[in-house]
Amino acid sequence: MLLEVQKLKVKTEEKEILKGIDLKIKKGEVLALLGPNASGKSTLAKVLSGDTKYKVSGKILFNGKNITNLLPEKRAKLGIALSWQNPPAIKGVKLSGLLKKINGKEINIKEDILDRDVNFNFSGGEKKISELYQILALNPKLVIFDEIDSGLDLEKLKDVSKVIKKELISKGVAVIFITHSGEVLRFLKPNIVNVMVGGKIICKQKDFKKVFKTIKQYGYDRCKKYPLFASKS
Amino acid sequence: MTDVKNIHYLQVNHKIEKIFSNEDVLILPSSEAWKKFSWTRKYFFKKPKQGYFLWVKKQINFPLFSCVLINSKKTTQDLQNLAVLERGVDISLFGSCSSLKSKLYGFHNSQGKFVLKKGASLKYEHRHSWNADDKVKAKYEFILEENAKLNYIFKSVNVPGKMEIENKAELSDDASCEIKAVIDCKNSEMKINDIVELKGEQSSGQIHMRLVGREKSIIYANSEILAKAQSKGHLDCQGLLVDESSKISLIPKLICSNKKSQITHEASIGKISQEQLSYLRTRGLNEKEAISLIINGFLNI
Repeated sequence: MLLEVQKLKVKTEEKEILKGIDLKIKKGEVLALLGPNASGKSTLAKVLSGDTKYKVSGKILFNGKNITNLLPEKRAKLGIALSWQNPPAIKGVKLSGLLKKINGKEINIKEDILDRDVNFNFSGGEKKISELYQILALNPKLVIFDEIDSGLDLEKLKDVSKVIKKELISKGVAVIFITHSGEVLRFLKPNIVNVMVGGKIICKQKDFKKVFKTIKQYGYDRCKKYPLFASKS
Repeated sequence: MTDVKNIHYLQVNHKIEKIFSNEDVLILPSSEAWKKFSWTRKYFFKKPKQGYFLWVKKQINFPLFSCVLINSKKTTQDLQNLAVLERGVDISLFGSCSSLKSKLYGFHNSQGKFVLKKGASLKYEHRHSWNADDKVKAKYEFILEENAKLNYIFKSVNVPGKMEIENKAELSDDASCEIKAVIDCKNSEMKINDIVELKGEQSSGQIHMRLVGREKSIIYANSEILAKAQSKGHLDCQGLLVDESSKISLIPKLICSNKKSQITHEASIGKISQEQLSYLRTRGLNEKEAISLIINGFLNI
């Protein structure tokens, strides 16, 4: 097992956000995590990548190693990469410079955003491209894409999905897609879909089309009321 | 700058090690210029003992480099520099002032005047790099005649224990200037005062400051634009407080005595964002590397 999350509970000072998550992903697998806004998906992504601002209990194992208390930079070195939903701007630091910092290599691609300050005045689409460049530079084993589909039109989403397939999935990299629209799953066909509501995973299903159809028709509430509904419809 | 071959003026402690001249550019010790050219006397702050006189008479097609060093214990440098750029010349100057090792207890006291005659243009990058035990006091004045243009950047990433800097520019009609100060203080006391006087019609001036305070530093930064004629000016002063043992005081000041002038300012003091740090750490940079990258980015103007 590449990643195994056991009974993960996450708190901030004010409240409990994740209420006992169990999750597994093997090498080369594609896992989708669907859920409405504020269900805890992004918190899970941050916690998996090592964000230090949360109080965490339970276990996170990566390649069998307990990484629950490991620093974010060490997780990145192990091969865990997070594509941020709303990455912050780093003024005065060119994207090309950051990429060089990440993997020590010069980038030989001619693209306008490489010469611009990281995420500064980037459009939604440019932010996603920038995230993708950084992810590839990290040479990861597991990538968590937090809302890679937000801010991208259908054509761009197709293009980004192609790159993810070619550069990551086909090379055996495990991928977790976090989304609340699910559109991206049409292009990336996950092996398993998890639905998260209120800080819990309430449904796991191999056929993403069924889950997607249920959510489209009845919303996440149906999954909440009848956790197994998606697999029965 | 480390390649001595390219340096046009090199002073180590009190001794001039190298000085360059050709038919278009004359560089002399200031004391010699004082004797040889009486017209220079009105520009020097006082009768010079040390320092350089740079006279760019005609356009040149290479940048000029000056380098002033301290490498002996308890050296006190008292420099009077003067640069005169004749009409229409356009030059780049790189100046470097530094001490070569710690525990020298050097004192670098420097005063300089740059006269940019009508239509002259100067791009001047001035770097200071000192050790904690040194003291530095520097005062620079730029006189811009009609249509002259100044682009001055003062950088100090190794600030000594105590440093006082003053940069002042006086602008005539249609002249323009941009003064940038980039300062990273670690356990230092820094006073900086940048002043732009817009005396001429249609003159324009900008001051940009980027100040980093860390490791028990104290920074007092004043910046001032005075608009005396129809002109435009802008102050942009940003401080970054890295830890709570440091203090930054930013005072931007606008003084306007011409109702057709437009002068504006923006000033802020912030801290390193936790979100930026987390972001860079997910990219494999440790906390120290991430802070360093954020600071370098902040200072990159």
